[in-house]
Amino acid sequence: MDYSNLRRQAASMKKSLFDQGYLDEQFCQVEDLQDEASPNFAEEVITLFFKDSARLISNIEQALEKYPKDFNKWDAYMQQLKGSCSSIGASRMKSECMSFREFCGQGNVEGCMKSFQKVKREHGVLRQKLEAYFQLLRQAGPAGAATRPGM
Amino acid sequence: MLLGAARMEEKKRAVMGRERDQFPVGMRVLAVDDDPVCLKVLETLLRRCQYHVTTTNQAITALKLLRENRDLFDLVISDVHMPDMDGFKLLELVGLEMDLPVIMLSVNGETKSVMKGITHGACDYLLKPVRIEELRNIWQHVVRRKFSKRERSNLEIYKELKPPSTDSCYGHNQIVGGASDQSGRISKKRKEMHSDEEDDGDENDFQEGDEPSAAKKPRVVWSVELHRKFVAAVNQLGIDKAVPKRILELMNVEKLTRENVASHLQVWHVLVALIKTVHLQLYVSLSQSYTHYEFADYILTFMSNQLMSPDMQKYRLYLKRLSAVASQQASIVAAFGGRDPSFLHMRAFEGIQGYQPFVPSAALSSFNPHGLLTGTSAATFAVQELAPAMAVQTATNSGIITHCASDGNKFQYVGLQENQQANLAQGSTTSLGLPQLQHKWIHQENNDLSTVFSGSALANSLSGALQKVTSTPLPPQELLECTQAKLGIQASMPMPSMNSELVERTVGVSSNLQDSRLSQQGALPINDGFSADKLQLHDPFDGTSGTKFSVTMPVCPSGSLTTTNNTKSGASSCGTVLLAPDTGRHSNYLQFGGVGNSRDELDGTKQDHLHSQGLSIGSFNHDFGACMTERTNASMSSLIPEMKIHPLTSDDKLKQKNIYDFGIPKLHGGFSSSSCNFDGLLSSMIKAEKDDLSFADNDLGGDFFPLGACI
Repeated sequence: MDYSNLRRQAASMKKSLFDQGYLDEQFCQVEDLQDEASPNFAEEVITLFFKDSARLISNIEQALEKYPKDFNKWDAYMQQLKGSCSSIGASRMKSECMSFREFCGQGNVEGCMKSFQKVKREHGVLRQKLEAYFQLLRQAGPAGAATRPGM
Repeated sequence: MLLGAARMEEKKRAVMGRERDQFPVGMRVLAVDDDPVCLKVLETLLRRCQYHVTTTNQAITALKLLRENRDLFDLVISDVHMPDMDGFKLLELVGLEMDLPVIMLSVNGETKSVMKGITHGACDYLLKPVRIEELRNIWQHVVRRKFSKRERSNLEIYKELKPPSTDSCYGHNQIVGGASDQSGRISKKRKEMHSDEEDDGDENDFQEGDEPSAAKKPRVVWSVELHRKFVAAVNQLGIDKAVPKRILELMNVEKLTRENVASHLQVWHVLVALIKTVHLQLYVSLSQSYTHYEFADYILTFMSNQLMSPDMQKYRLYLKRLSAVASQQASIVAAFGGRDPSFLHMRAFEGIQGYQPFVPSAALSSFNPHGLLTGTSAATFAVQELAPAMAVQTATNSGIITHCASDGNKFQYVGLQENQQANLAQGSTTSLGLPQLQHKWIHQENNDLSTVFSGSALANSLSGALQKVTSTPLPPQELLECTQAKLGIQASMPMPSMNSELVERTVGVSSNLQDSRLSQQGALPINDGFSADKLQLHDPFDGTSGTKFSVTMPVCPSGSLTTTNNTKSGASSCGTVLLAPDTGRHSNYLQFGGVGNSRDELDGTKQDHLHSQGLSIGSFNHDFGACMTERTNASMSSLIPEMKIHPLTSDDKLKQKNIYDFGIPKLHGGFSSSSCNFDGLLSSMIKAEKDDLSFADNDLGGDFFPLGACI
């Protein structure tokens, strides 16, 4: 297999994610934390992120349907989600979270609803993209793989 | 098996011990965050920095771990928003019980939150996502704390008197903020800041220069750290139940006596009352997120640095003197001049910057001696003979403001007297012993502001802190009130020497009455300090939250205004500035102008608060100076007590003039001599009273620690 090609593909995928604003610098920091001791650190964190954020999103969704509208609660949830997003560098999602919070601050239910849909959408898109990215990386093997004989 | 396990433990400990020897490598961090993603990233980052990391996603678990063995960790990093316990609460408890440095983490970088972190004792406040560079430096907090503790214990109880030194150790002290020394390395910081100044080596202590070296007394230095413990204890007990004995128990500090705590508590109460006043007035419009106590704590912490400086001994002397005097109502009123409400806008520093000592300028106003409020108070300074005087006053205010403004991190907090007024008026029970204290501190001398000032060493410090002039517009009422406060009073102090500096300082203050509007420089910048978001009036002073707030006292009652106007020899007290009819046109004064005009009508109207004019804080800031109008008939009903400022009597004029002479020594910690300039006043008073000092340092309610420190 042409690992270097796969790696190139992964790199270009990553670059495009950055260019399109899905990811930011923080993602690089996370990837940098990967080392021999934790070779799959980035993927682990991302997986954890999607799992946890799915839970948060579902909480928010439930809260959004409740009456009376508890903006504070929504805001609190969203703040958590925003925190997670910023920890992994999920830039677009983070922006949507922020605008959701703004709507909360204004007491704008409609705005919140719309914004929340966007958050969900971004979440879905990012998940797809990152899954593809990590899969590619896995296929490409560890960075040193190409230099190993017989690979 | 057991043996094996024990040996393992031993080995582990040995490894850890070795690691610790290579500090900061191996520094033991406890990381707390309910967000698993953040926690995982944080943990890895910390490991990357070669720290030894323990994580938990629950604050309760963290507390349990720490309580079991405090020595297991060197530092705690915690998220602010956690489901099982508020991060700030955890912070407080850890600080109180374990005395470990705690770093707060949050997605939210709002100044309000940051401020809260600081006031609750965080030694740093980081925003998520945290970068590794930031984490690489956190070990400093551990070192600082250890260092300061050691120093503190050496110096704390017994302090040698040192001759007053000229260096001012206060300066740009960074009391707050993540980077700063919660642990009390204030003096250290000061040293850094003032490279040319040599600290006497007493980190957290202040010198009592005036005491004969023979009369050494054990003195407690209320360092920031100690104070923090005090506050945490008080909070834990609840302000009602916070009695010295229990506080002492909770604080668990060796060699601290009940008396030490009692006197500190007394000051604390006073401060809080003061804060309330100011708070109410200024921050009514702001989001009210802080309780008075929190704010007071903040102020005190913030100020503690200032009081460390040798210059502060003057304050102490002064305070001693003042405390011996009965209150002088008139002088009080005059003295308090008014605080510029705009000052109250505190701007939390973004990302924790060091706070620089603020110039306690309007402090007095906030600390309004009881007498002041109630008295007819011949407007102490109300009448300024000369426009210049007024200008001075304004200038002073301006100066102060400017001065303060120029200090990026100056935190200015202007206290408004109204508060007190309101209190009095409403019979509120702010009692915190404030009235009594005030009386105590009110100097009976002829309308001297000195009393006022003295009384408020607290006030001073507060004012210093308060000085930040905010540019956020306050609701008219508040502004009005603030302004009025400003106007005030300063005048009554017969300050012997006035610095011309003061006059110079006044930026934009023209000798012209009209110009005297405080506008000082337009909007005072300021708020470098906290952007105030808002000090929340936790307990509305007068029961009315916000706007109505009593803020202050309307500045000179119309009556007085006219008087002042007539006496125009000078701009009548600043307050008058506001009131001066001419001021109307100054846009800066905006409100002042309006105020003035309305004032004329107003006499005793609640309307005084011309705030409707929308005084812009910026313009105000200053000096309302003298016109504190006190409500002569404290009508309980009125929300905003009107303070009538009585025009200064001619006797006072001279004195007032003197007052203006104060220069504005330095922003840091100095009193500005102008009406708002406590420093000058204080200096002069101190000078004048130097011989008078009769009581020992601890006369004032026990150990009298510098306001900053003790408050």
